[in-house]
Amino acid sequence: MMRQRILAVTLAGTLFGLCCVLLAHAEVRQSAGAVSDIDPHKAFGSKTAPVVMEVFSDFQCPACKTLYTGTNRQLMDNYVSTGKVYLIHRDFPLPMHAYSRVAARYARAAAQIGKVEPVEQALYQNQEKWEQSGDVDGTVASVLSVADMGKVRALVKGGTLEAGIDKDYALGQGYHVNQTPTSIIHSKGQTFPVVGVVSYDILHNFLDQLLSQK
Amino acid sequence: MLQSSPFNLRRTVILIGRLVLGGIFLYAGYAKILLPNMNPHPPIKIALSLFAMQVDSYQMLPPQAVNLVAHTLPFAEIALGLLLWIGWQLRIWGTLTSLIILGFFAAVVRSYALGLQINCGCFANPEPLTISTVFRDGLLAALALVMTVFAFIEARKPHAWSAPEKT
Repeated sequence: MMRQRILAVTLAGTLFGLCCVLLAHAEVRQSAGAVSDIDPHKAFGSKTAPVVMEVFSDFQCPACKTLYTGTNRQLMDNYVSTGKVYLIHRDFPLPMHAYSRVAARYARAAAQIGKVEPVEQALYQNQEKWEQSGDVDGTVASVLSVADMGKVRALVKGGTLEAGIDKDYALGQGYHVNQTPTSIIHSKGQTFPVVGVVSYDILHNFLDQLLSQK
Repeated sequence: MLQSSPFNLRRTVILIGRLVLGGIFLYAGYAKILLPNMNPHPPIKIALSLFAMQVDSYQMLPPQAVNLVAHTLPFAEIALGLLLWIGWQLRIWGTLTSLIILGFFAAVVRSYALGLQINCGCFANPEPLTISTVFRDGLLAALALVMTVFAFIEARKPHAWSAPEKT
């Protein structure tokens, strides 16, 4: 009886080991790639940072607001401003949200005049208001000077921002992004997709592991 | 099938349950630890931290509990998978497997009901949590429960091939 059990354990272990080897050599579906098409106005931190994080988000998505207010602010303070992480904001306006593309246009226009941070903050913090009223313009105007708002409106009306949003969207599709927020983290030739809201404590553990990787 | 056959319906269900659930648990644990779809393969500690982010995205547990689950569950899955394949003490491990799968099912149902746009995290691949994930986990939970109940019933009966007791 004992011998049969030992035989069964050995057999099961061998089978499992075989499966591991086979699966490890299975088709590679995910490959690390260089980050392309970076809009310097929507990227933060040092370009030479060891970790690059692309965040695909939609200004009208509640989970994106949670990620922005709960996690990314601390990430900016502790990893981006210290040169450890290069953070890239990508627009991924979901078709189901009526005003997310409009908000993306305003944020992109604000980025071009160097005012992306207050505008993104205003859009996320007042998300419930403008998604009801559709008053994205008023929300942005509340945090910019009259002169800056004039420049933003001119850029939005100019229609040149659409191409950048479409490019971000296409990049997201290339990473198989189909929900927001999705963060794509690159480090040492590896690419890690993270879908949904992640609390700062857990993200900080992961980033520390990546940064300590030799 | 004759009642005395070693492969009556109950035993067949138990065998299928052991093979299917054992195989799924083994692969799920292995995938979380070694990330076979990634090239190059990251170290195990990074794979487990990545899994912690998937656990955290369910928004059910505090950070300490998330880390505990992420660093123990994949190894528990491999151990349970092997134990199910071997079939030793099936009532104990079947009960534990059922409890774990019911926990997964509850988490998936809750996340789907709340409309969380997250990945399942079941096999460490980018698989969105959809209604098909809910159905799949429900089926696996049903299989685990039936297998465990049948294992308890079988344990009470003498083996079909054992000699009849002399009176």
